[in-house]
Amino acid sequence: MNPSVKATIRERVQKIEQMPAIPAVFLPLLKLLSNSAEDAEVDEVVRLVSYDNTIAAQCLRVASSPLYGLAQTPKSIKGAVMSLGLRRVETILLTCCLGQAFPVRKWVLDPEVFWRHSLGCAMVCRKFSEKLAKSDHEKAYMAGLLHDIGFMVNCLAFPNEFAPALERACRDGIPLHEAEQTSMGFTHCDTGEALAEKWKLADDIGEVIAHHHAVEASGKAQSLVALVHLSDLLCRVRGLGYGYYERHRVDLVADPAWAILLKEHRELEGVDLVRFTFELDETVDEIFELVATVFGSTTMHA
Amino acid sequence: MTIVTQPVRAPVAPTKTSEPIDPVYRQIRDLVYKISGIYKAEEKLYLLADGCGRRMKQLAVRTPREYWDHLTAHPGRDGELRHLLNEVTIGETCLFRSQPQLDALRKVILPELVVQKTKQITKRLRIWSAGCSTGEESYTLAMTMIEESERLLKGWTVEILATDLNDHSVETANAGIYGDYALRNTSDLYKRKYFTTIDEKKLQIRPEVKKLITFSRLNLQDNSKMLFMKGMDLIFCCNVLIYFDGASKSKVINHFFSNLNFGGYFFLGTSESLMKLNEQFHLIHFPGTIAYWKPSLSSGKL
Repeated sequence: MNPSVKATIRERVQKIEQMPAIPAVFLPLLKLLSNSAEDAEVDEVVRLVSYDNTIAAQCLRVASSPLYGLAQTPKSIKGAVMSLGLRRVETILLTCCLGQAFPVRKWVLDPEVFWRHSLGCAMVCRKFSEKLAKSDHEKAYMAGLLHDIGFMVNCLAFPNEFAPALERACRDGIPLHEAEQTSMGFTHCDTGEALAEKWKLADDIGEVIAHHHAVEASGKAQSLVALVHLSDLLCRVRGLGYGYYERHRVDLVADPAWAILLKEHRELEGVDLVRFTFELDETVDEIFELVATVFGSTTMHA
Repeated sequence: MTIVTQPVRAPVAPTKTSEPIDPVYRQIRDLVYKISGIYKAEEKLYLLADGCGRRMKQLAVRTPREYWDHLTAHPGRDGELRHLLNEVTIGETCLFRSQPQLDALRKVILPELVVQKTKQITKRLRIWSAGCSTGEESYTLAMTMIEESERLLKGWTVEILATDLNDHSVETANAGIYGDYALRNTSDLYKRKYFTTIDEKKLQIRPEVKKLITFSRLNLQDNSKMLFMKGMDLIFCCNVLIYFDGASKSKVINHFFSNLNFGGYFFLGTSESLMKLNEQFHLIHFPGTIAYWKPSLSSGKL
């Protein structure tokens, strides 16, 4: 990428902060999520959340969605941690924070569509991860949730450049990142990477954001990037894409990302992809509902 | 500016029951999937429960648990599973049953086949509706091809072979007369364009649609006849293989693989899986639907 383009992206991303009101717990939470030591964290999370009743209440409501596996709404954050585990609650909180920071507004890309894709991808990443031995499921969830954060940057910082790209993608039924590259000269991977640097996101999440469309270009976190890449493709063919018909055929097993993931996870061979797909369909309705709850305009700063 | 886009979704069931479902039905769902490849999604479990209910009434069985024993431990279990499959796939046949399948065909597959086959000089497409039942799928395909005959398929010859084991079904298919229920997904435009009115409740397909199709009786397990069904570009076989045992299913699928041209596609029913019975086929995802692909020679993936 042209260095001056890179500088422009950096500059505009720096200005983003003033636009949405990021909840105070968000950045400390991100920091907690990048540490893997769990023991002393529960109190810290409870303390952080106690500053923000809206987030706490919403987190409890979301925790009771069938997508997260609780039949009843937990009464407190501590209670939710007891039944779901700390890491799961942290990722739910993160989801709610993003909803709070970026509620549904008039964006170039329909924000509900964007969040459905992000949340859908988070769910698929976690489900995928659960099929693999030695995989961090909540990390996978977080990677899926944040992988396309660059689109949000595009909407906030490059709306005039991004609109024709989206229009072209819809018109020609081509992948959005290809349309971005052609008409803008950079993609949401570049703008997302700049935001990841600014937010000091963990390196592996940064790699996911920057390379989920070119898995081979990623470094240490290549398996995670591959997992997100495949989950992203699957979402885009099962009703959780960007809301237009992509004229593509997806051969997951022949995708280079599959071979990359397979190198580390032989158990991938045993995954019944068709059944996995059918099971994903079962969650689509719930994802629609959850997006309305967390990101819908009615819940904005309730 | 917000670009309004419509999510592309796989079809979902219109209603859900609020009553919690007996967990035995999930066991039955898994058994049905393992044996037949038909997957009843969570939101369609009530349909499975209804089907089981009708069977239980017939058998004077009182509880789902007792019915589970009939399906697994009873000497007549194979026959019972067949009855149950009949129940759960009942009423699924209609014209234009799977829009995502037809979209994939028109927007992705046909353009691909046209490019591929233009190189080969022949401007001919051969499609086989294997297990055509009473003809709904065959006529849907024929109308779809006619719609494309002025665009992509201008100057092409399309042949549709439609076969079924049952003489009576072939006869009904040949007559091409359908009532409201079978026509529930057919648009008024298509009804006017491709049908003539027989009486208040029945429409008959026009001869120009019918002339694309050759209906005949064929047993998919008749090896010698299967060898003659060569040179297909597309094979559709919906909810037929679910009744076959593993060995026969495998044999039929291997036949289908050899019957297809390189680069051709094989479609099953919308909630049906090939269950890894043939490792040469590539599983391909299209928006809202899946198909199996026989790799083209040039792809080097065979």
